[in-house]
Amino acid sequence: MTTAVETLARPPRPSVATRAWRFVARHALTVYAILAVGYLMLPIAVVIMFSFNNPPGKFNYVWHAFTFDNWLHWNSVLGIQSALVKSLEVATLATLVATALGVMIALAIVRHRFHGRGTTNLVVFLPMSTPEIVMGSSLLTLFLNSHGTIQLGFWTIFIAHVMFIISFVVVTVKARLIGFDRHLEEAAMDLGANEWTTFQKVTLPLLAPAILAAALLGFALSIDDFVITYLNAGPVQTFPIFVWGIARVAVPPQVNVVASAIFLVAIILGLANVVWQYRAAKATRGAT
Amino acid sequence: MGEFLHRHKGLTPYLLLAPGMLWLALFFLVPMGFLGYQSLQSGLFPHFQFTWEFSNFSTALSDYHTQLIRSFVYAGIATVACLVLAYPLAYWIAFRAGPWRNLFLLFIVAPFFVTYLVRTLAWLNILADQGPVVRILRDIHVLGPNGRLLATTFAVVAGITYNFFPFMALPLYVSLEQIDPRLLEAAKDLYSSPTKAFLRVTVPLSMPGIVAGTLLTFIPAAGDFINAALLGTPNQSMIGNVIQAKFLESLDYPTAASLSFILMGTILIMLLIYAKVVGSEKLTG
Amino acid sequence: MNQRMTRDQLLRRGAVGLGALTVPGLLAACGGGGSGNASGKVNDVLNFANWELYIDTKKTLAAAGVDKPTTLEQFTKKTGIKVNYYEEVNSNPEYFAKVQGRLSRGQGIGRDILVSTDNDRFLGEYIANKWVQKLDKSLIPNIKYLISAQQHPPFDPNRDYSLPWASGMDGIAWNEDVSDPVTSVKQLFEDPKLKGKVGIWNSMGDTLGLVILENGDDPAKVTDAVFDRAMARVEKAVSSGQIRKFYGNDYAQPLDQGDLAATMAWSGDILNLGNPKLHWVVAEQGGIIWTDNMLIPLGGSVPTASTYMNFMYDPAISAQWSVGSNYISSVEGVKPDALKLDPKAASNQLLFPDAKTLSQMHQNDPKMLTNPDYNKRWLAVQGQ
Repeated sequence: MTTAVETLARPPRPSVATRAWRFVARHALTVYAILAVGYLMLPIAVVIMFSFNNPPGKFNYVWHAFTFDNWLHWNSVLGIQSALVKSLEVATLATLVATALGVMIALAIVRHRFHGRGTTNLVVFLPMSTPEIVMGSSLLTLFLNSHGTIQLGFWTIFIAHVMFIISFVVVTVKARLIGFDRHLEEAAMDLGANEWTTFQKVTLPLLAPAILAAALLGFALSIDDFVITYLNAGPVQTFPIFVWGIARVAVPPQVNVVASAIFLVAIILGLANVVWQYRAAKATRGAT
Repeated sequence: MGEFLHRHKGLTPYLLLAPGMLWLALFFLVPMGFLGYQSLQSGLFPHFQFTWEFSNFSTALSDYHTQLIRSFVYAGIATVACLVLAYPLAYWIAFRAGPWRNLFLLFIVAPFFVTYLVRTLAWLNILADQGPVVRILRDIHVLGPNGRLLATTFAVVAGITYNFFPFMALPLYVSLEQIDPRLLEAAKDLYSSPTKAFLRVTVPLSMPGIVAGTLLTFIPAAGDFINAALLGTPNQSMIGNVIQAKFLESLDYPTAASLSFILMGTILIMLLIYAKVVGSEKLTG
Repeated sequence: MNQRMTRDQLLRRGAVGLGALTVPGLLAACGGGGSGNASGKVNDVLNFANWELYIDTKKTLAAAGVDKPTTLEQFTKKTGIKVNYYEEVNSNPEYFAKVQGRLSRGQGIGRDILVSTDNDRFLGEYIANKWVQKLDKSLIPNIKYLISAQQHPPFDPNRDYSLPWASGMDGIAWNEDVSDPVTSVKQLFEDPKLKGKVGIWNSMGDTLGLVILENGDDPAKVTDAVFDRAMARVEKAVSSGQIRKFYGNDYAQPLDQGDLAATMAWSGDILNLGNPKLHWVVAEQGGIIWTDNMLIPLGGSVPTASTYMNFMYDPAISAQWSVGSNYISSVEGVKPDALKLDPKAASNQLLFPDAKTLSQMHQNDPKMLTNPDYNKRWLAVQGQ
């Protein structure tokens, strides 16, 4: 008769090879993640490096000599500062509005059955498939046909950006909504909350990472757009318009400085978020 | 607010849709109507006449089907490359990154904050014929002695892949992030190998993200022109380049418009086929 | 004002914008729309749309060792007119796409002067479609200093609508680290040592102009046969892999890096690269001189713009501008003034070409630039 102790005998210790393999497999993913981010950062590293370059001519293509001058006098190139500010303003505003509108559309499509659901879904894909030059030009025609009601400038850029960002937000948020576990919401409603409160207190927080991801994509699209913006900007210059314009004759290192600065500010915000997340996690651990 | 919505449940989808769809209707569909009008015009700039010129479409298709097909091939390769490269990264961020996850999301997106032209000039620098990358590849005989990376199909597809990476990675992350890690644990316990667990459980659960990422990458990439313009030769010319040239250089608005509709129409047809094949609930939930 | 329109007119208005078919649209179309100022009044503000880095600035003057206020500052001081200088033209076709909608509706674009190049079709389109206004030559006495080569260009034989702003020359540049001197288009297209490392422009006027000269033909008089001969040469060079790529102004980086051994290049760019390993020459069979011209768009103020043009045609001012911007002036007699400002720049052939260099320069035939069949074939060789 076997005793309980014998039947619960320990499994044989895995071999060294298996342990080594498991160690590698465990960390391979992390290594890959770092390599992947390295690949993404490679041109950015070059951009940052060349922001310290002191080129002999007007172009900044070949490394010449190190200098801090470009960073000290970053706005010495006429127009670079206002272009940057304009880009940030438009991107922030357009992202906020487009994200809100896009999340609402995604919710409607995924969670409700209504007439024209399939068509709406397809219509949302259309702006993504339209070449920028014709989309921008046709939109310009619309503005011109308003006979002065709509003046070309900041707001026409804003309108255009919201228009092409919405689709990307919808598709991204849908990826989270499809297969969303409704049990938590059902539980909340069982406990007496109505639809609106449930949405506020349960759905929205669960959707938050998806909304953030969609907003990041939207911001990236807006701050990098050239063709549609150029055609509909009137006299306003955004940073991409400024860069494309100046690159015909010169690429001053200040362009690299501003580009690097935007990137570094974003990363610093990210690092701040890491600290904040650590603190939040510690707080919840302490609370339990 | 809560009471109103509760009593008028049927209204909710329309209320949700209204603002966004109105915006699209006014600022996208109306301009597209004008574009459609242009696609049926004939004549030379600026004296176009509306003549129901449906032959614009057939002429455009027969003249430029090479570039159209090439665009879909390049977009397809780039999409697959993005999927393969981005999935492990998205997985790591969703499950292993912990408090670092938002920072890494930023790392994925932040290259976009550096203008396209500036990023591409940096790539032109890195991949230069005399640069370290090409020299190493020549030394290990991956490239011939006069081989180059720039001004090739590789450069164009690599450029598209790099520039659309976030559009694949972020939706993948969004859908992976919602998977309950305990499901993955259970899968590992139930299946004999981690690979099987991955294929049978993780991948299907992340399908909405894969679908979203694929669409967000493939569709805009098919209409891209800038990568082929800066990184390619005439042999890499995509339909976006043709439309750009027809519009800007030739001032041939009808052809540019009809080509745009051919592109949009082909993509729509692909979407419909895709929905039929994978089931439309993958697209709408 | 004629309220009744023929069907043909209606269709044309419709072609220009659906909105014109609305009642306000028709009224606007009948009235001509624009907010022009054809009266004799000179404004106190001038809105000038130009290419980037096309004018002298404090920084460039300091680099050239010239201690004077910029030409814009001197203009304001002399006339009291403030200049809003917009560096918003970054390519001829793109700027054209941006403004043609408004101009074709008879509306202004908020600018008194815009600048467009003569070696592609767009300059001709502005003038042919009457989207620009006639200069007020009574306000431009300095027009007498316009060099003779620029007095009767084919697109504006009487200089009624345009005046040159800046010129540059099309030639050949090579990187001495990667190649021996390259001095002819023939060498560019046929030297096997250069295979896969040659650049040419995506602009028809520039590239074909040089090739036509290499064939011994005249780029100012392009017939079908002339065009075919030139295109055949380009097509052969492209299909054989001799040509690496078609470039806009982005050949500068590959040339600087050595990806390109030799390329067709603009004189101004080589100056601006500042790399002593790069050399520029006029091609053996001749070069093309291109000129960016000032135009007064609809809605712009003719008297204000004309006053500015007159100021820039003062030889002393033009000399300072040329030294400070690194582009060629079209004003007679600038060299003595330039010598006083910056002797080194004044003796630079790329900035102040002498008669011998200028004699090697030619201009494009505008009919070649606007021919739709030529255009289609030119795009086809680029895969578009």
